Amino acid sequence: MFKAAIDADIFREAIDAIAALVTECRLHADQNGIRTRAVDTANVAMVSMDLKKDAFKSFSATKDELGIDIAKMKNILGMVSKGDLMNMALPEAGHKLEMAFQNYKYSITLLDVNTIRKDPNPPTIELPGKIVITGEALNSAIRAASVVSDKIALGIDPKAQKFFMVAEGDTDHIRLELGRDELVSLSPVEARSLFSLDYLKDMGKVMARAPQVEIALGIDHPVKFSFPIAEGAGRVEYLLAPRIEAE
Amino acid sequence: MRCAECKGRLLCGLPACPVMTRFFAQLRLRPAREYAGTAPSVFLGSRGYPSVRGGPLLVDDTDLPPDWIARGLTLEEIVGIRAGTIRGRTLPGRQQEALREIALSARPLDVQVAFDRVPRFDLAFDGTVAPVGLTGEIRRMEVLGNPVVERPVERVTSDTDLGAGDACTLLHRDGVDVYRIARLFTAGLLGRRRRMVPTRWAITAVDDSVFRGLRRALLTAPPMETACLHEATLFGNRILCLLAPGPWRFEMVEAWGRHSLWGGEEDLVVVDGERERKHGYSPLTGAYYSARLAVAEHLNRLGRTGTVLVVRVVSSDYWAPLGTWVVREATRQALREPPVECPSFAGAIPVLAGRLGGYRWLEASALVPEMRSQRRLSDY
Repeated sequence: MFKAAIDADIFREAIDAIAALVTECRLHADQNGIRTRAVDTANVAMVSMDLKKDAFKSFSATKDELGIDIAKMKNILGMVSKGDLMNMALPEAGHKLEMAFQNYKYSITLLDVNTIRKDPNPPTIELPGKIVITGEALNSAIRAASVVSDKIALGIDPKAQKFFMVAEGDTDHIRLELGRDELVSLSPVEARSLFSLDYLKDMGKVMARAPQVEIALGIDHPVKFSFPIAEGAGRVEYLLAPRIEAE
Repeated sequence: MRCAECKGRLLCGLPACPVMTRFFAQLRLRPAREYAGTAPSVFLGSRGYPSVRGGPLLVDDTDLPPDWIARGLTLEEIVGIRAGTIRGRTLPGRQQEALREIALSARPLDVQVAFDRVPRFDLAFDGTVAPVGLTGEIRRMEVLGNPVVERPVERVTSDTDLGAGDACTLLHRDGVDVYRIARLFTAGLLGRRRRMVPTRWAITAVDDSVFRGLRRALLTAPPMETACLHEATLFGNRILCLLAPGPWRFEMVEAWGRHSLWGGEEDLVVVDGERERKHGYSPLTGAYYSARLAVAEHLNRLGRTGTVLVVRVVSSDYWAPLGTWVVREATRQALREPPVECPSFAGAIPVLAGRLGGYRWLEASALVPEMRSQRRLSDY
C-alpha cells in the first residue's frame, strides 16, 4: 500500500535526477519515505535518491517495491506547473499507480520489478578530496568543457588550495580554477580523475538546480556528487566511474 | 586526377576510358532500338529533383543482390550484368502507372519498349546505387501481364493513411526484404502523400526507416553477455563486427587502403557513430545506414542490445563500386559467421587490432579509446 501527496515540483525534481541515468528503476517505499538506487546500462554511473516522509504533504506506506518507468513518468511530470499538488495511490498488491494533479487523473501500470535490474551495491571507496560548490557553477563548467572535449579532469591542487577542471580536445584546451573564495568549502587533499562528459552533461542539468553540491574525489577513482532535494527532506547521490588513459 | 574522381569523364586525356571499355567489352548483347523482355525493377535519377527522370530497368535478371550472392557471381559477372542493363528513361511524370506495376510485382514483368534511338553506353558509378551501363530514351512502353503482389505488400501499398516510415517497418516485420521495400519506395507506392523518389535516396531512406523501427527494441533489450567478433569478406570489402555488452551504441570505421577505389595514393579513414539518436547525414553516406541495419537485424534476432563497432576495410579487389548493398550483404554475411568470443569490448580490441594488422585503422575511432579507458563501477 502506498498513498501520498506531494508538491509536484519536488517530485519532478526527484524523478529528473533518476532520469539522467536510467529509464526504469525499482522504487522502494516504507513508512519513512521512498528511495531508489540504480546503475546505467553500461555500469558506469549510479544514482541513489531518497525522499523522506517530511518531503510529502501526507504520506503513508507499507514496505513495497514499485517498478517505475522513469521515462514515462518524466513525460507525465513535464505537464505539471509550480505549486501543483500531486496525489498518488497504490492499493495493496495493486499494479496500477493512480496519479492525480490539477484535473488530470492518470492510472499508470507499473513494471514487473523482476524485469528491472536488481539494486546495485555501492562500491566501497575512499574519496578524501572534498569540495562544496554551487550547482550552477558546476553545470556551467561542465557545459564549457563539453565545447572542446568529450572528457574532463576534475581535481584538487592542495598547494594552491584550488579546485580545477581541465578538458583537452584534439585542438583545444580549457582550464578552470576555483579558489576558496569561489567555493563553499574545500579540503586540500591531492586528487585528480578523468570523466566522460557524456554522463556529466546529463547530471549537470539536474545539479544546476541544487544550491550546493558536495563533490568527493580521489586519484583515478570515481567521483561522488551529492546534493539535497526537497529543501533538505531528500538527497541525491551520483557516482561516476573514471576513465583511465592507457599509457 | 584520380580515376575515382573522374569516373570516366576522360579527364586523363586518353581517347577512351580504360575502366569503361572494360565494362563495354563484357557486353554480350549489343543494344538495339527495341527491347522485349523482363523489367525487374525501376530506377530514378536524382538530378534535377523534383523533376526527375527515370524508368524501368531492362535486363534478364532478378536485380536482387542476395540472389547474385546466392548464385556465387563474381564482381566481374555482376558488373557484366549491370553493364548490359538498360535504364529506360521517360520524361518526368510519364508512365507512372506502368512503373508502379513493375515495382509492385514480386516477379519481373514482361515489357515491350521502343527507344528513340539505340541506347547509349554511359556507365556511371555512384557509391549508393548499383551501376547501370546503358541508357535509352523511351518512346513507347507496354507492360505485358499483371503484377504478382504478396499479401503484406498489397496491404501496405493500398493503405494511404499509413506513413512511409511505418510502412517500411511493417513490411520488414512481415519478412519483405529491404531491396523490395526500396523498389516500392522509389515508385512512390508507400506513405500518405505518394511521389516518386530517386533510387539512391530511397535506398538510404529505407535502410534508415527500417532501422528506426528496430531501434526501440535496441534501447530496451538486455545487453549481450559476451563480446563477439564476426568477420567476412565480400568483393574486397572486409567487414569486422564487434558486438559487446553495453547499451546500444554504434560506430563504423571505413578504411580505404592505398590504391583502393577511393583511396588513391594515401590511406583514407572515415568514422561516424551514434548513441540513442543519429543527428544529420552520415559522412560515410549510404554504407553507414546499410551496415547499421544489418547489425540491428542481427541484434533483434538475438533479442539483445550492445555496443557495436563495425570496421570496413576496402582493398583494391573492389575495383567497381556496386552500391551500398555490398556493405549490407557483407555485414549480414559476417554476422552469420560464428564469432570469436571475448570477455569484453576492451578485451576484444587487441584481437581486432591483430586481425587488422595493427591499430592504424582504429586510431580514428572515438569508441575504441573510450571503451579502453572507461572504468566501470564494478571495478571498484
